[in-house]
Formats: sequence, C-alpha cells, structure tokens
Amino acid sequence: MVPVEYYLLLSSAIFCIGLFGVLTRRNALYFLMSVELMLNAANINLIAFSFQWGNLTGQTFALFTIALAAAEVAVGIGIILVLYRNFGDIDVMDAATMRW
Amino acid sequence: MVSASAYVPAIVLLPFVSFLVALFGRENLPKKGAYGGIAATAGSLALSLWVLVSVRNGDAFQETYYTWATGVGAQDWTLTFGALIDPLSALMLVIVSLIATLVHVFSLGYMNDEGERDLPRYYAGLGLFTASMLGFVIADNLLMAFMFFELVGLCSYLLIGFHFREPGPPSAAKKAFLVTRFGDYFFLVGVVAVFTTFGTAAFAGAESFPAIAEAALNGEATVWTPGGLDVSTWFTVVGLLVLGGVIGKSAQFPLHTWLPDAMEGPTPVSALIHAATMVAAGVYLVARMYGFYVLSPTAMGIIALVGGFTALFAATMGVVKQELKQVLAYSTISQYGYMMLALGAGGYVAAVFHLTTHAFFKALLFLGAGSVIIAMHHVEDMWEMGGLKDRMPVTYWTFLAGSLALAGIFPFAGFWSKDEILYEALIHGLDEPLILAGYVMGLLAVPVTAFYTFRMVFLTFHGEPRSSLARDPHPVRWNVKGPLSVLGILAVITGGINLVPVQKVLGIEGIDYLHLWLDNHWGGIEGLSSHHYADLDPYSSTYLFGGEVPTVLAGAAVSLGLALAGVGLAWVLYNVAEPTEHTVKLGGVRDLLYNNYYQDEFQVWLSDRTRDTAGGADTFDQGIVDGVVNGVSSVSLLSSERVRRIQTGIVGNYALLLTLGLTTLLVVFGLLGGWFL
Repeated sequence: MVPVEYYLLLSSAIFCIGLFGVLTRRNALYFLMSVELMLNAANINLIAFSFQWGNLTGQTFALFTIALAAAEVAVGIGIILVLYRNFGDIDVMDAATMRW
Repeated sequence: MVSASAYVPAIVLLPFVSFLVALFGRENLPKKGAYGGIAATAGSLALSLWVLVSVRNGDAFQETYYTWATGVGAQDWTLTFGALIDPLSALMLVIVSLIATLVHVFSLGYMNDEGERDLPRYYAGLGLFTASMLGFVIADNLLMAFMFFELVGLCSYLLIGFHFREPGPPSAAKKAFLVTRFGDYFFLVGVVAVFTTFGTAAFAGAESFPAIAEAALNGEATVWTPGGLDVSTWFTVVGLLVLGGVIGKSAQFPLHTWLPDAMEGPTPVSALIHAATMVAAGVYLVARMYGFYVLSPTAMGIIALVGGFTALFAATMGVVKQELKQVLAYSTISQYGYMMLALGAGGYVAAVFHLTTHAFFKALLFLGAGSVIIAMHHVEDMWEMGGLKDRMPVTYWTFLAGSLALAGIFPFAGFWSKDEILYEALIHGLDEPLILAGYVMGLLAVPVTAFYTFRMVFLTFHGEPRSSLARDPHPVRWNVKGPLSVLGILAVITGGINLVPVQKVLGIEGIDYLHLWLDNHWGGIEGLSSHHYADLDPYSSTYLFGGEVPTVLAGAAVSLGLALAGVGLAWVLYNVAEPTEHTVKLGGVRDLLYNNYYQDEFQVWLSDRTRDTAGGADTFDQGIVDGVVNGVSSVSLLSSERVRRIQTGIVGNYALLLTLGLTTLLVVFGLLGGWFL
C-alpha cells in the first residue's frame, strides 16, 4: 500500500501548479483550467484520507466536489462569453471598468 | 355623562387640523380654507365653554397625556405633555377661542372679499397660531409652555410676513422674531434653571416648583443653588430669567420695539396677536406661575416698575402717531404695561381681569380699524380720513364703545379693570416705593391714553371728510359687522364680571364673580387660588382717608377725572370740522416721540457695538465647533480616497493578495505553533 504522504505530495504539487496558473495567466480559459486543477488537488486529498482511515465520507465529498466543479465551469464559461462580448477579448485584465 | 376633561386635547387639535387641511388642501377649499378655520375655532370655542362650565361645577383637573423623556440616575426628571385646567386656564381658553373665531369670520371680509392671494397659507397660519396659543394655555409644566411659546413666536413671524412680496412685512417679521427670541433666550435658561433647582417644572400640585420653592423658603425643603447662593436671591434670579421671555413676548420696555412694526401684518392678525395670542402669552405666563413670583419681592417690584414705566412710555408715543394701527399698537404696549403693574403689585385678579377686558376691547378696536381700512381702500393715515361716522355707523358705534373702554370711562369694561389695577397698586404701594413709582406712572398714563384714543376717534370718524376716499367709503359686509357687534357688546358689559368697587361701596356681597372664580370658590386646584397668592405676597395694604371705601372712591374719582380730562382735551382740539395737527406745537418733543425715543436707532447702535463679540463667537463656532466635526469627516474622506486604490479591478491581484494572506497566516500560525522548531 502506498503511504498517504505520497498522495499529499502529489496533491500539493497539483495545487501549486493551479495556483501558479491563476497568478500568471491573463487568459480567462487558463484561469478556469487552473481552478479545476486546484479543486482536483483537494479531491485527491479527500480520497487519500478516506482510503487511509477506511471511511467513505471523504469519497462522498469528492463526488460532491466534482458536481460542484461542473456547475462552476458552466457559470465560468458563461462569464467568459459575456467578457468576450463586452471587451472583444477574454483577457481578465480588461474587465477593470467597475472599480471606483 | 361624558366629562369635558376628555375633550381638552381636542380644543388644541381642532385648529391644528384646520392648519393641516389648509396646508394640504390649498386652493381647492371653499373660501380658501376660511370655512374650515371657522368650523375648527368655533368647535374649540364650544368645547372651551363646556370646560368653563365643568370647572364652574368643580371639575378642575391636571392630567399628563404623554411622557416623552425620563431621566436616569440622580436627575430623574420626566418631561411630559399634559393639561392643567383650572379657573385661570378655562377662562383664557374661552377668550382665545372666541377671539380666534371672530378673527376668522372677520378675515372673510378683510382677506377673501378684498381678493388677496395665497389665502390657504394665511388660514393655515391662523390655525396653527390658534392651536399653539391654546396649547400654551393648557400647558401643565414650564417646558411644555416654553415649546408652545416658541410656536406662537414662529406663527407670528409667518403671519406678520404674510405679504412677503412687499419690502416692509418680511423685515418686520424678522424683527419681531429676533427681538422676542432675544427674550426667549433668557426664558430658556430660566427653564433649565428651574429644572436643575427643583427637578420638576410642573405648575400645580404638591410636587410643583412653586410649592417646592415655598417649602424651601420656609426651610422645609432643600433645593440646589449655584455655588451655595442664598435661596431667595436665586429664586429672584430664576424669576427674572423667565421674565425675559415675558418682556419679549408681551412687548415690555426695552423689548417692545417689534410690536409697532408688526402692524405690517394683515389687520385681523394684529387683532389676534394683540388681544388673545402672542402678546397675551407673556402676561398669562406670569399669572400661571404667580405662586413662584410672589415669593420674590424684588422680582415683583421689578415687574411692577417695568409695567408702570411701559404703560406711560408707550402711551406718550401713541399721542403723535399718524396711522390708525400705529396708535393702537402703542396702546397695546401701554395696556400690557398695566397688566404687568397689576401682577407686580400683587393684583393677580386685577391683571387677569384687565387681560380679559383688554382682549375684548382691543380685538374690537383692531377689527374696527380693519373695517375702516377696508372702507378707505387700505389707506391708514388718519389725516386722510374724517367724517366716517355717518357713512359707517356700525363700525363707528362699536369702535366708540371700544375706545371708551380703552380710555377707562365709566361704566365701560376698561374702567373697571384699569381702576382695580390702580387701586391695588395704590394700597400696596404706599409702603413700597417701587410699586408707588409704578402707580404714579400708571396714573399719569391714564389721561394720555384717553387723549390719544379720542384723538384717533375724532380724526377718523368726526369732522369733515379730508379725502375723496373718505367721502365715498367702500361698504363692508356682515362678516365685518358681525364680529364687531359681538365684541362691541362684550366691551360694554365685561366689566360686570367683577364689580369690586360697587361691592365695597354699596356692601352688596357676591358680585365680584371673577374674584370668586379665581379664588377657587367653585372649585379649582389647591395652591393656585388668588387667596393663596394673597397669603404669600409680601405686601401690606394701607388705606387713605381712614378706610377702604373712601380709598376706592378717591382712586376711582381720580382716574376717571384724569381720563375725562384727556377725552376733553381731545374733544377741544380735534372734534372740529377741520382739525389741525396740534402736536406740531410740541416741537422737539414731538420729534422725539414720533421717532419712538430713538429706541430703534439705539438698538441698531447697540448691535453695531456688539458686532465684534458676535463675530468672535461666530469664528469660534465655525472654526472650533464646526472644525472638529468637519475634521473628522475630512480625515475619513481622505483616507478612504487612498485606501480604495488597492481595489484595482484586476482579478489576478486579488488572487495574489489572497494567496499572500493565506501564506502569511500559515507562517504566523506555524511560528506560534512551533512547527519549525
């Protein structure tokens, strides 16, 4: 059996990749994908601990997270479409017209 | 049987409703709001009469309607609205609502028939004015009285300045407001002083401030005084502070200057101000808290002296005026001086008596003057009139009745009340120099009053017409003649409510109804009777010629003789076909009188001198007081201007801040939790 530390290392690596994407990219689609990565990093954590303790609660939560991620993508794509219509681009830096 | 006491608030609320109706109904109302006002004030009059009858049947009461603030800790004051219905306030309610009703009816003729504009505003003002005065009359504590006192002042401002498109009225309204406000400032300080000293401002009952003051002077109670000041001295100071408001409102020297200018208002408003509301409020206040004033001989002496002086001072100015309403204005100041003299001299009943009779005959004279002004197409100069006697007989005869009452000619109402004032001042004044001085000035004012009154009558109604307007006057209708007739009858017969001299001379008991009325003969509230006041007042009575009856007769004979002399002089000088202006012969004295002893100029000079102080106070207010407030707001404005820059609108920045914040938190908790050790 693979020890839980390896799963945690994997998940934190994936989370950091996602975070890096959010902080460096300007394209909104990259944003969405990076957020997806971070969510799945959390999923890996949940399942790893579930496996470790022999408890099914973590797996249930992972299923919920997947459903949530699907909904988030639907909303996110909608926002990106509106962004494109209004600014002719999907650069997140453009959408700064509603500040003070 | 429903008790009248349940309807006391309605007396005040009815005119207030008419104010609201006129305010929101605007031009759609029948007669522009006049009917609503007449209905409301007539309703108040009916209820007031009912209250009067129920007080006659022993149903005087005090009731608190609403407590709007309660103190905590050591200063557990309660601030309330309530009604105090005793013989004095019941009588005053009837006077005020009666005059207000008649003034509303008269306004139909003076305002509606003359085609004035903005009438809903006028009737709204009249309604609020009446409501404020009625509220002031029923007030059961000093603070409530103060609030309605201020409302009365506000309404007089609104009504004096009714014709605000002309230059004169707004300026007169401002003057009235500012001058009375100057007095009210002292009144407000006095109200606070009463609260701090006694912890209550109630007028009646064992816990009222006059009762506590009386107990404190007898050593049965302790009250707060500033810096351990002597109790009686402090009471005098408090009394004089409240008196400041009275002097402003009742137009006593030196704050009388607003009243002649207030003639800029419509004539019915002048009638209301002079007879029943604004000016009467001051004297009524002193009568209301008379139990407090009698405790201070010094304050009483000052009241008597100010009153006597004002009576003479204003009467002399009335002699040279050219305009009908100006003469009446100075006569009002002078007559209220008499009332103050009576109050100061311990003649509580005499003052209330004169307040009553004066309300009727002065309202009559003003409405009569209004009738003449309608007839003369709004010319007020008496030298343009003359010979109106035959052309407007109703006005002439009623005006004559009012003038005889004002001059104090037997047996008209004014004779009885003025005579009683002078009698009280005389018997109490023989031992008190201040009151004797007031008496002498009051007596000197009698022939002057009679002279200017009949100068006015003869110039207006007798002789030959001196202008084309006077030859062909505009006719007046029932709505002018009706109120005049009612008041004319009252001016003749009101003296009958208090025939004290007759009782004393002929020995008929029980015809001094007003004395019995104010003495709680038919029931009242304990501690508010004239008997109680007479027990407290510091005066002893001294009689001349060895007895009461000769003193009564001598006093009456002297004042009647002087009044007749004044009338006679006016008769000789002005009751001729072509009168000339005899006062010109007075030379410099006439100029002095005509310019009101240069009082207005003096006040302007005084305000110029105090401009630097006022400027300093303004700088302090604008710079320090407002500066602190403005400083707080500008600091927050400035900092928010800077802080909002962190909101860039770029989503990446927010994500970065979130990440950095999370990392910082992790590091901090890690350090504190000892992970890295």
